[in-house]
Amino acid sequence: MKTPLLLCALLGSHAFAEGEGFVNFIRQDQQTTGVVWSMPVTPRGGAPSVGLLEEGGALFQLWTVEQATGKDYLLDQKLVGAYLPAAAIEITTLDPYSRVPRTRADQPFTVTVHVDGLLTGANLPDAATRVLLEHHLAPFSPGKSAVTPAQAVSNAPDSSAFLGNDGETLLRFPVTSLPSADPTLARGEEHFVVHALGDGSISQTQLASAFVEIWPVASGAIAGLNNGATIRYNAPPLTITLKDLYPRSDSWLQVYEGAPKLNSDGTTVSGSKLVLDQDESADRVLTLASYDSVFPEDGTYTLELLTRTPFGIDRLHYITVQVNRTLEIRAQLNGFDER
Amino acid sequence: MKTFLSLLTALAGAALANPGMTDRITPAEITSRKEPSPIKSLQVTAPSTEVKIVRPTGQSLIAQSDILHDGRNWTIVPKGAVLHVPEALSPRVGAKPLGRLLTWDEFLTVNRGWVFTEEVTMDQAAGKRPVGASRIEFWEKNGKVIVAVHLGGPISVRPESLSPVATIK
Repeated sequence: MKTPLLLCALLGSHAFAEGEGFVNFIRQDQQTTGVVWSMPVTPRGGAPSVGLLEEGGALFQLWTVEQATGKDYLLDQKLVGAYLPAAAIEITTLDPYSRVPRTRADQPFTVTVHVDGLLTGANLPDAATRVLLEHHLAPFSPGKSAVTPAQAVSNAPDSSAFLGNDGETLLRFPVTSLPSADPTLARGEEHFVVHALGDGSISQTQLASAFVEIWPVASGAIAGLNNGATIRYNAPPLTITLKDLYPRSDSWLQVYEGAPKLNSDGTTVSGSKLVLDQDESADRVLTLASYDSVFPEDGTYTLELLTRTPFGIDRLHYITVQVNRTLEIRAQLNGFDER
Repeated sequence: MKTFLSLLTALAGAALANPGMTDRITPAEITSRKEPSPIKSLQVTAPSTEVKIVRPTGQSLIAQSDILHDGRNWTIVPKGAVLHVPEALSPRVGAKPLGRLLTWDEFLTVNRGWVFTEEVTMDQAAGKRPVGASRIEFWEKNGKVIVAVHLGGPISVRPESLSPVATIK
């Protein structure tokens, strides 16, 4: 039995597999004979696996090696066999980003586990009647924004369960499960793995895996003007601090007349628009000056720091100021003599 | 249940262009949304015997490979794929990575002068069928590094297939 192997799915499994400076390898390890075949790899596309699948199955592994360091990374692996259950995992988030499932710490996501090939009946081996689903949590280390699949599953799972029936199992997660002292700042990856129940005859048991990236909720602050301040002449320079901006987000400072009110449309302060479209979250600091034109007349104004993500618009910070430029001269003229 | 309904609503509304503006969510709000893992609610009887789960940790592709290099480029093939190394070419096999890593195809293209590929069957790779004494004699006379390939990719060959007087069942 030839097994069609979708390299595109495998190679898309981790961002740096496609990056320059990395060379990819796919290995097929025949579990019964121990024969290892190195499959010719192209960055994208499909290819048939080699020859016969043995009774014990074959382990497919996608590796990448970094040119600069010679360090190898296992990106994904899948155990396939004619007499093994088959599994697939699909993760759905509200972010339409296509390279890898990703979402934000406060957002829901679903995990769909497909299992096929399980048997039902008496006196069947465990491996034929069940698979094991595991959920691993992998917070990013400080300063890091990625973790290898091998690192992610190296510790005991956060939760696990046996699946005993073919078909789909739908799991809904209302928010991330990653541990964090401040849950809005959770960042890392959640990995889901389906294992065959090994009997010692196979070197690896992973049938399928998938992961979702979790990014923190952005925060921000407007400095340079205090809430309730009065602007009597030129508005002072502002420092806008933005932290943990979502990888795909637009952020800006807007001003409108009146008291703070959500969903108000205001004037965007020139130089404050920040567009992010990348693989990881980011911090930014902006300095704004000469923005007096957003205060056309005296009155009460609200300054709002906003960020738009695939999940909606978040108001990160706001202040209200008074603009009072009316010049009042109080003087008394005395002692003028007509000459 | 209420949370799941709102979750479904949220997922169904994923395509909406502008879900509206909200203040930044607080840590307490996220905590209130958390629920026990849905995996813990899956109830399937555990197997009667101990489960042996093998996780892919501590592996190294390079450690599982033989390295070929030409002084400027290097590549890797599965251990057991290098069938024959003439004495004069032994420094080019098994050394530390040096220079630029190439895929097997790229490396072979620029090093055909000293690398020769021997196409083998899966049975030969698995040690079920001998490669044949005539091929082994040819490798020794050929003077090149011999690498086993199958359908264009390097493949490990079990030593049982490489004995000139193999008696493989």
